[in-house]
Amino acid sequence: CSDKALESFPNDRYTEENYWTSEKNVTAALTGCYAALRLEGVLGGDATVLWEETATPNAYNYDDSRGVNAIALGTQTATNSTIINARWRDCNVGIGRCNNFLAKSPAVPMDSALRARMTAEAKFLRALYYGMLETYYGGVPLILDAPDPAAQGKLPRDTRAKVVQQVLKDLDEAAAALPLKYSGGDIGRATKGAALALKARVLLFEASPLNNPSGNITAWKAAADAAKAVIDLAGAGYGLFSDYRSLFLPANENSVESIFDVGAKIPELGNSFDLINRQYNTNAPLRNIVDAYDMKDGSPKEVSPLYDPAKPYENRDPRFYKSMVFPGDTYIGAVTTPTAPFKITGYGVKKYSIYDKEATTNLINQAGRSETNYMYIRFADVLLMYAEAQNEVSGPDATVYDAVNRVRQRAGLAPYEIPAAQTQATMRQLIRHERRVEFAFEGFYYTDIRRWKLAETVMNATIYNSENQPIVKRTFNRDRDYWWPIPQTQRDLNPNLAQNNNY
Amino acid sequence: FSLQAQSHVTVSGIVKDEKGQALPGVTVAVRLNGNATAKGVQTDEKGLFRFNNLEAGGPYSFIFTYVGYEAQTLSGYQLKAGEQLSLMVKMKEVSTALNQVVVVGYGTQKQVNLTGAISTLDMRSKENTPVTSASQALHGVSGLWVNQAGGKPGQDGATIRVRGVGTLNNNNPLVLVDGVEYDINEINPDFIDNITVLKDASAAIYGSRAANGVVLITTKSGKKGKVEVNYSYSYGIQNPTKLPDVVWDPIQYMQMKDQALINEGKSPAAVDYTPAQIEEYKNGMATNPYAYPNVNWFDLVLKNGILQQHNLRFSGGSDNVLYSIAVGYMDQDGVLIAANHANRYTLDVNVSANISKRLHVGTSIIGNYRTYTEPAFGGSDATGYYFTRLTRVLPIFSPYTKDGKYGSSVFATPGRNTIENPLMLLKEGSNYHAPQRLLAKVYADYKLPFDITYNINLGIDKLDGYARSFVPYLVTYNPKTGAPNNYNINPSSNSYDENNLNISFYQTLNWQHDFKTRHHLDVMAGTSYNRFDNTNATAHIEGYFDNTLTDLDAGSLNPTANGRVTKDILASYFGRINYSYAEKYLLEATLRYDGSSRFASGNRWGLYPAVSAGWRIDKEAFFGSSRTIDLLKLRASYGKLGNQGNAGNAAGDLYGYLNTVNLGQDYSFNNTVNPGAAVTKFSDADISWETTTAYNLGADASAWNGKLALSVDVFKRKTEDILRPVQIPQQGGGLAGPVTNVGAVNNTGYEVTVTHRNDIGAFNYSVSANVSYVQNKVISLNGESIISTRRTTRAGYPIDAYFLYKAIGIYQSQEEVDNSAKISNAVKPGYVKYADLGGPDGKPDGKIDAYDRVIAGSSIPKYNYSFNINLGYKGLTLNAFFQGVQGINLYPTVNLAMPFNNGAGVTKEWVDNSWTPQNPNASLPILTTATGATENFQPSTFWLKNGSYLRMKNLQLKYELPQGWLSRAKVKRVAVFANGENLLTFTKFKGFDPEKNIQGDTFYEYPSLKTYSFGVNVTF
Repeated sequence: CSDKALESFPNDRYTEENYWTSEKNVTAALTGCYAALRLEGVLGGDATVLWEETATPNAYNYDDSRGVNAIALGTQTATNSTIINARWRDCNVGIGRCNNFLAKSPAVPMDSALRARMTAEAKFLRALYYGMLETYYGGVPLILDAPDPAAQGKLPRDTRAKVVQQVLKDLDEAAAALPLKYSGGDIGRATKGAALALKARVLLFEASPLNNPSGNITAWKAAADAAKAVIDLAGAGYGLFSDYRSLFLPANENSVESIFDVGAKIPELGNSFDLINRQYNTNAPLRNIVDAYDMKDGSPKEVSPLYDPAKPYENRDPRFYKSMVFPGDTYIGAVTTPTAPFKITGYGVKKYSIYDKEATTNLINQAGRSETNYMYIRFADVLLMYAEAQNEVSGPDATVYDAVNRVRQRAGLAPYEIPAAQTQATMRQLIRHERRVEFAFEGFYYTDIRRWKLAETVMNATIYNSENQPIVKRTFNRDRDYWWPIPQTQRDLNPNLAQNNNY
Repeated sequence: FSLQAQSHVTVSGIVKDEKGQALPGVTVAVRLNGNATAKGVQTDEKGLFRFNNLEAGGPYSFIFTYVGYEAQTLSGYQLKAGEQLSLMVKMKEVSTALNQVVVVGYGTQKQVNLTGAISTLDMRSKENTPVTSASQALHGVSGLWVNQAGGKPGQDGATIRVRGVGTLNNNNPLVLVDGVEYDINEINPDFIDNITVLKDASAAIYGSRAANGVVLITTKSGKKGKVEVNYSYSYGIQNPTKLPDVVWDPIQYMQMKDQALINEGKSPAAVDYTPAQIEEYKNGMATNPYAYPNVNWFDLVLKNGILQQHNLRFSGGSDNVLYSIAVGYMDQDGVLIAANHANRYTLDVNVSANISKRLHVGTSIIGNYRTYTEPAFGGSDATGYYFTRLTRVLPIFSPYTKDGKYGSSVFATPGRNTIENPLMLLKEGSNYHAPQRLLAKVYADYKLPFDITYNINLGIDKLDGYARSFVPYLVTYNPKTGAPNNYNINPSSNSYDENNLNISFYQTLNWQHDFKTRHHLDVMAGTSYNRFDNTNATAHIEGYFDNTLTDLDAGSLNPTANGRVTKDILASYFGRINYSYAEKYLLEATLRYDGSSRFASGNRWGLYPAVSAGWRIDKEAFFGSSRTIDLLKLRASYGKLGNQGNAGNAAGDLYGYLNTVNLGQDYSFNNTVNPGAAVTKFSDADISWETTTAYNLGADASAWNGKLALSVDVFKRKTEDILRPVQIPQQGGGLAGPVTNVGAVNNTGYEVTVTHRNDIGAFNYSVSANVSYVQNKVISLNGESIISTRRTTRAGYPIDAYFLYKAIGIYQSQEEVDNSAKISNAVKPGYVKYADLGGPDGKPDGKIDAYDRVIAGSSIPKYNYSFNINLGYKGLTLNAFFQGVQGINLYPTVNLAMPFNNGAGVTKEWVDNSWTPQNPNASLPILTTATGATENFQPSTFWLKNGSYLRMKNLQLKYELPQGWLSRAKVKRVAVFANGENLLTFTKFKGFDPEKNIQGDTFYEYPSLKTYSFGVNVTF
């Protein structure tokens, strides 16, 4: 019996030796880099982004889905939170795929323009994954070569600054090579605008109080310039979609407002937004976010004459009605009460779900059966990023007012203009407030309250349900909780990984 | 010459065995007129004996006795003076344990000549017991740890570990049926004649897959003689041995849940059930039991299980043809009220014939067609999934609404987003499995010149494993308002088929020779080739209008298909030499050279040598002619055994050395799915065989004609280059770790078996007991350690040792909390207190974190033991078989093992035994939900349980009808019997049967069953 007779190779997968041969295979490898976006630790899973909101005063996660409630309570450790483990793992999955792509694809004969674009896409994605790691964990081992566990497995953490530097480099290189737009089946790939907008987000995080305690203006300037570059990006055609409610419905995916989406399609590649929002209610809104919505005249409930404490849900910012469900609201053909159908706080989330007032019996009760894309970056975010950074650079100049007012106008506030003569400080509060309301339940607020160093205030608080009854008291340790712990499993495997402070 | 001499007679003779070989050491006694004379002699080396001076007269009789042979008496000799009498005696071996023939690799051996550590099981000892899978029959076999996790109809096979746990991957022994690799659970146990387990280097003849031991199953064959017809029938009633003791009282449940939420820090305003709701429920129970039920859900979904087995065999044979044809039928309706019905239809044919003086051919065919059902929901482990749901049902769930629809629950319970009505999940939809497996073997022996025999075998093992399921459209209804609650609006149908063809081909040349000088030589050489071709395909479709049409063709939306074809090849060369001198000195050497397709070229081949020796001390001249000791033998063996990491046929195991780029990493651009590919796992191209070096030292003794027998073995098995998927740091790729050759594990231990049997008149009894001890210890792991959630594998400790925080009680006061290291800032009085044992610098650091974990407890039992008591009086026998394990820990988690886990209920132990300020010495911490107070439910010694148990595995009372009655009816034998299986279990483990899936730390299992059965066994 010869050695040859013992040969057996798989028929359902390639090997590294026979894979990197054609343009088609390279294309599929890049698709694999995008696919990591859908992992539960990144922006996929059932509803990672919706649950992240529950680590903020906006919402509450009754059954600790993915361990986010532990973070909300300030009881997270290096072992007890799924999301803390999963984000580390899944961002690294994405990084490894991008690195492998960048290492292996150059040798494959293919169209050079396409290769250049794909290389830029991979760099954009690598920047996204590394950006996410540094945003939550701080410095991480910076690895840019194809996966090689023997060489890379024991590397210690690099500084966050070094990681950020690489992220910005990748984004600059990506922005230089990526097209402004795609057509047909390529819509959804990373664009020049996406690279620039992500750069703005990264720089804004750098400029913010958490990472810029001295308030260095250069950092704010860099962030403002980056956001401005997106606003001014000729030919990209970014704008605000007219209707705030339907912006979050499948019909309006890839609108003028969308800068970078995580794609979803059922039944193969869906998310569970509808199931989570309607049935699970594990991102149940809290009284605190309800109170944060202004009145429809654009002023806070504390000052607006429209506010009636007996009818707290009347005359609010139109975005309130387009984002959530409250007791007395009509939801799927029935009037809601404080305990039904949303028993946890009395509130439910509408945004990113197809369910609204209209009755239907076709209620999705299966995971992975929703197909609304998740907008990781939308134009309203760029506008408010610009406003926030520019206000720090120059105070509330006209461009700051304009950026914020554009968002308020689309929201349907009347009047939508911010009263004139705001100080830099009051404008800062207004912009922060605008971000909170505009992006409520979209998963950005957790990082916002961290970078503003507000978490130690707003997260050390009792949370309340729709009846203003206390639910539980949360804590936030300012000396520990601004950063996530390095997962213990990884420190077991690589003892060179230092732990974050006080974990 | 003298007159004296004249009156004496010389009697001489020779004693031979049936084969004509001289028998030395045979005792020849002489009796005159029935009276013993003192003049016994023994035969010499050549089998000769001589009496020189017997007195003339008579009648004389000569009695020949020899251990292992039937005594012979030649009587009636009248000796005349001067006469010379010459006797020729042929002695026949008796069939005792000592000279029983035991099946070994590629041949047979007389038990008495074995040099290896081999356990045998005569299946007659399991006759009439309600064993449904052959693996269950191995309970109690010396050196084995047999663990049957649950009695799921159709899937109730046990796991078998031979002499510990040798590797970190697949630890299942290689199983061969009539010499061909086969699944131990795909054969009717009634078809098995005997089972041999090769535990040491004696398995090395199977080389590359022998490291976990080898189980050789021999099926029943015909015997020369008139046709014999045997029929047996048994009827059994089954019930779970143990279920969690759940708080079913709805009011108590709601109050406890609310209290748990308050205890963990929730505001009393934010509890799950308001006082008004509880009051409403109390009042409603009297008036509207549909909306406000007070039921025990376990009672609702459980019933008595029924197990019936019929077996019928025709056997017989002539000088040239032997045959045995059997059919069997099993019908098992499990303890759930639906979705657990199994049938088995079995066929066993054994025919062999002498075609000519030189050519002998034969065939054995085992057909096993089974069907079984499972609940519709839950995919590949639907029954396991069902138990995750059943252990999550709440006492306030309504079985039915008033108008007979499936109920949901009158109150919403936060965290219970889906109301799984366990009755609905059992009764609706379908999940049907129909695996059909056939093992067909044909073989031929051809006698070549010079005593050489050529043997050729071809075995075909064909599996057609079909399954289909239909997940129906299901809605539950609020029992009060009637509001519908969709459970599943997306009916789907799934069909699965696996089609496996395993070909075994082997051939041997045998040469046996008995030299005149009492040297015996037996030489065998052979080759073998195994090929495993596996195919599977799944089709899934949705879009059914309703639940009436369930075929794939009736669906319309979202069709998906999956499938794979794999090929796995093994090629081998092997040989064996047996040498013995006078059956006194025994020597065996084997060599096997194996090649596997699972490794890269260059790492494919492995060489597995083994030697063993035995010494029959009782045959030594210096041992004298003891009449007490029948056997005293020393044995020693050494050999190398291999394992290729055969973790079933998952494709990843077959191509573990290849760095593959996996497909299916898809992404949608503009709502179009684009195919994606990615490396998801890192592979080690250099992997090769793992090797077990086995040492064994044994002694067998038997005395008083087998009335007392003792067998002792001490062993060591060192497994090196263990194949194991290792975790690698996720940084830089998040890849799954490679399967790689890591480290070494030692299993050292001993086994002792004692048997005593005796007859006292019509009363006979036997008792036997065995104990096996094994110490499992990882020797090295290349400096790494493997940590899973609550287990670790690391040098110096057993495989999968528990790795836990050390619980040191319960916090009694806030002051104590404040002054202690704690696991989080949520810790309160009543919470579990952990010891601060270490820190980054090895010293306690005031924090409870990963540095404080300690190794505590083992997933592998230290002791396996069993004992058997058999009492017989005339036709009546009573047999009690006990079996136990000692020195194992279990770690039950989640639903019903922990309180209110993820929206589940709670067990009664939490009613009185949980901590309160008034009950500071409670055995359990303060009542909280497991999900809301994770601090208490961290992997810790607090929840580690002793999983040791002793159980009365079987109790059988049997009555054989007297022959006198039967002969008139032309019936050879009739036995009626009653059995009890798993009647008694002694254990400290609470909540579930301790014989459970050890690694699955949950109660999500079909329960173990207690069986009462009755039956009849008739032979014509």
